Amino acid sequence: MPGASAVARRPVLPGFVRATLGFLRRQPFAVAGLAIYLLFIVTAIFADQIATHDPREILFRGAYRVARYLPPSTTHYLGTTAGGRDVFSQLVHGSRSALQVGVTAAFFVVVIGTLLGLLSGYLGGWVDRVIMRIADIILGLPFLPFVLVISALTRPGTTTLVASVALMLWPNTARVIRSQVLSLRERGWVEAARVTGCSTWRIIFVHIAPQVAPLAALYGSIAVGWAILTEASASFLGFGDPAAISWGLMLQDAFANQALSRGVWSWFVPPGLCIVALVLAGFLVSRGSEKLLFPKLGD
Amino acid sequence: MDALLDVRDLAVHYRTAAGPVRAVDGASFTVPAAGIVGLVGESGCGKSTLGRALMGVLPRAASIAAGSAVFEGRDLVTLAPAERRKLLWRRLAFVPQTAMNALDPVQRLSAQMQEVLVERGGLSRAAAGTRAAALFAMVGLEAGRLRDWPHQFSGGMRQRASIALALALNPALLIADEPVTALDVIVQRQILDVMRDLQARLGLAMILVTHDVAVVAYACDRVVVMYAGRVVESGPVRAVLEAPLHPYTMGLMNAFPDLERAGGELVPIEGAPPSLLNPPGGCRFAARCPFAEARCAQDPALVEHAPDHQVACWRAPEAPALRPLASEAATWAR
Amino acid sequence: MGALIAANDLVKAFPASRSLRDMMRGQRPVLRAVNGVSLEVAAGRALGIVGESGCGKTTTARLLLRLEEATSGSVLFEGQNVSALRGAALLPFRSRVQLVFQNPFDALNPRFTIRRSLAEPLRNFGVPPDQQEARIREAMGRVRLDPPEAYLDRHPHELSGGQLQRVVLARALVTHPRAIIADEPVSMLDVSVRAGVLNVLRRARDELQLAAIYISHDLALIRYVCEAVAVMYLGRIVESGPTAEVIAAPAHPYTRALVAAVPVPRVDQDRGDLPIRGGLPDQLNQPSGCAFRDRCPLAFARCAEEAPPLRAIAPGRHAACHLA
Repeated sequence: MPGASAVARRPVLPGFVRATLGFLRRQPFAVAGLAIYLLFIVTAIFADQIATHDPREILFRGAYRVARYLPPSTTHYLGTTAGGRDVFSQLVHGSRSALQVGVTAAFFVVVIGTLLGLLSGYLGGWVDRVIMRIADIILGLPFLPFVLVISALTRPGTTTLVASVALMLWPNTARVIRSQVLSLRERGWVEAARVTGCSTWRIIFVHIAPQVAPLAALYGSIAVGWAILTEASASFLGFGDPAAISWGLMLQDAFANQALSRGVWSWFVPPGLCIVALVLAGFLVSRGSEKLLFPKLGD
Repeated sequence: MDALLDVRDLAVHYRTAAGPVRAVDGASFTVPAAGIVGLVGESGCGKSTLGRALMGVLPRAASIAAGSAVFEGRDLVTLAPAERRKLLWRRLAFVPQTAMNALDPVQRLSAQMQEVLVERGGLSRAAAGTRAAALFAMVGLEAGRLRDWPHQFSGGMRQRASIALALALNPALLIADEPVTALDVIVQRQILDVMRDLQARLGLAMILVTHDVAVVAYACDRVVVMYAGRVVESGPVRAVLEAPLHPYTMGLMNAFPDLERAGGELVPIEGAPPSLLNPPGGCRFAARCPFAEARCAQDPALVEHAPDHQVACWRAPEAPALRPLASEAATWAR
Repeated sequence: MGALIAANDLVKAFPASRSLRDMMRGQRPVLRAVNGVSLEVAAGRALGIVGESGCGKTTTARLLLRLEEATSGSVLFEGQNVSALRGAALLPFRSRVQLVFQNPFDALNPRFTIRRSLAEPLRNFGVPPDQQEARIREAMGRVRLDPPEAYLDRHPHELSGGQLQRVVLARALVTHPRAIIADEPVSMLDVSVRAGVLNVLRRARDELQLAAIYISHDLALIRYVCEAVAVMYLGRIVESGPTAEVIAAPAHPYTRALVAAVPVPRVDQDRGDLPIRGGLPDQLNQPSGCAFRDRCPLAFARCAEEAPPLRAIAPGRHAACHLA
């Protein structure tokens, strides 16, 4: 077969690594997003080493004078709070809870949303109707108030927050996955899987699921941002875990102590910027992953 | 021969990350003032790109890299866009592959006809109405159906409507890109009959881009065979199809199942066309050609081998001896 | 010789969209895409089903493959009624009746290597892993993809259309089927590679004594690969018989039009008017009696009154026309 020689000339497997590197060169925004993520992840891992003080420790100046509202200095890079705690150290430790909430919530959003989207799209019928009606109801609920109500009714804390964010956000993922599945199930190779004896479950999880994985990842990275924002909002409004150290709580603390009118910029601007940066990173990465994870197969 | 359109060494390149793809790479042919010219070849041979280049409707990434296309004494390649736009519809018209692309789905057909006839043709609204009805009659549609929306038409009727629309301003040249490919045989035949009938009645020139030799044999007066971005053979349909000079044309003829020819093996052309990113030197067909020789490493020029019959093959003089060999599967199997 | 695979009075009705008037009358119109189709194919034989788009030929194929449930009628495989089989009980039938797809660019999972695409059916049908490689190589040999190593570790987007269609055929053959159904197997391929794929299909059928059913709009192609043909019009078979005879002397006026419309690569050919009027009627508002009568140049009073049944007109030939 003469075609074989033409095929053999091409290099074997272009190499995912090389493709990724080339992509990074072409996608500066995604690189920026990844860099921000990386910075926060490193910070969260080495928080104990990076922080200059214990974030919960009330610092004193001289004998029995709480070191409140200290301006930024070489000892306190971002000064101290009204309670005499080191802002920089709180900021560093805050990245832990932010990432923890963001990543776990995104994980559950992706898992629940993808699973229900796959079942709904491929099985159709009453399964589809039930799942989509539940999704409609949840999409009709106001997001933040609902999270706050759940937090208020249960024990406020990270678990509650993650659970309620996952509960509120899966429908978006599920709907998008479902519509993708609806078009995939019409593809010839899905039909071929049926003809060649694949069980329904195998078609869904072996043939179709890998195709929707990039889309799920996209919605996951958006969910990271949403979860962090929600956590910050809930904490700011006093529904967070009071014992935790988070950027939302820092903002609430600053707000409660009129840091704004006192002009203590070094207290409330940094956590705000961190939230913006991390949420932004999620969107940058998701924009980029769209192009990286939808390679033009068959081109 | 007095040519309406004279295409010389036309090259159209697509810009890609890997470099220019030479979709059309030095194509030359002429279109006489009247008659249907079939532009035939496999997918990726550049036939559609060529048709689109002539109409000035190339995709963004493509551009004409070299050559000329002299239409009624003016070179379409160097013509200013504004001047070229003036020619569209009035002198040059286009029928795309899917009629849905030619028809606006949210306008009644009468409105689309009016737009072309009044805005571009300068007719009065009343005259445009009469003309639209006449055009519909010409392609075999009832005038009453002008009030319909495109979605109310079947595939064949849509193709008729888009031909009527293209003919609205009496163009001298109609370029139709695979106009019958998506249609069933009966409808396909009806559309080809409409095109032949219109050509004879209006005496205009048509270029019919197709992959189907049988369509060319049925509807065309002349044929231009393209392979890998180049013209390999051209001439009157009878001369080219009954006594092909280029091995690729011979192969194409034998690769088709023929309703009237019983039994026997079909003869495939093994292999695939070359990449147009880095086309090989010499004859582009040499890698698949059973008759290739050492001299095929040199590029054969498109020369007039018989009166009005051009071919780009070194072994064209031996064609009568090669033809019977080309009809045997063993010749091509390697 | 008995039939390997047969269809017995298959009907597939789809609910059609209702107009306001239908709703007010409480009517629910149905569209009979396939309306009483019976056919049979013996081992080693090939039947072509030919017709225009919308005639029900693809739906017939899907019913035969049990990809869709028939509204009524049955599918017989090796004498056994397989219409009622479900789930695991359907697996033996699936391994015995395979499909070759129309669009090779869409028929293979883009993320699977060719080897994995071919191994997947073997896994599903319980072929032990140590036998799979041999079966895969055997199938690749049958479709003339030599050497198999040049293809097995590639992904579909690295192959050409003709190569892909051979892989699709190899996937169908890897399960050792008894019957194969090919839906427009070459219509998406380039002219120069069509012949190669058709030759491979024909050879596989001969060597393995498969029962083959080809679905196509192209009578010339059917002529090349099938000894017998069934012509469908609006969900019914209107004529059937040996392909050469049907083409040489069509008995049904629709077949006559179809044969006349097929373009041939000859300069001298009949360019007369087609013996047919108009276009396909709206399937929901078919004429009374014979469904073809409003396009038929020979229609007469009786055609409006009674629908002609498909009856024998000569040995091995059937037609549904009062005049046949």
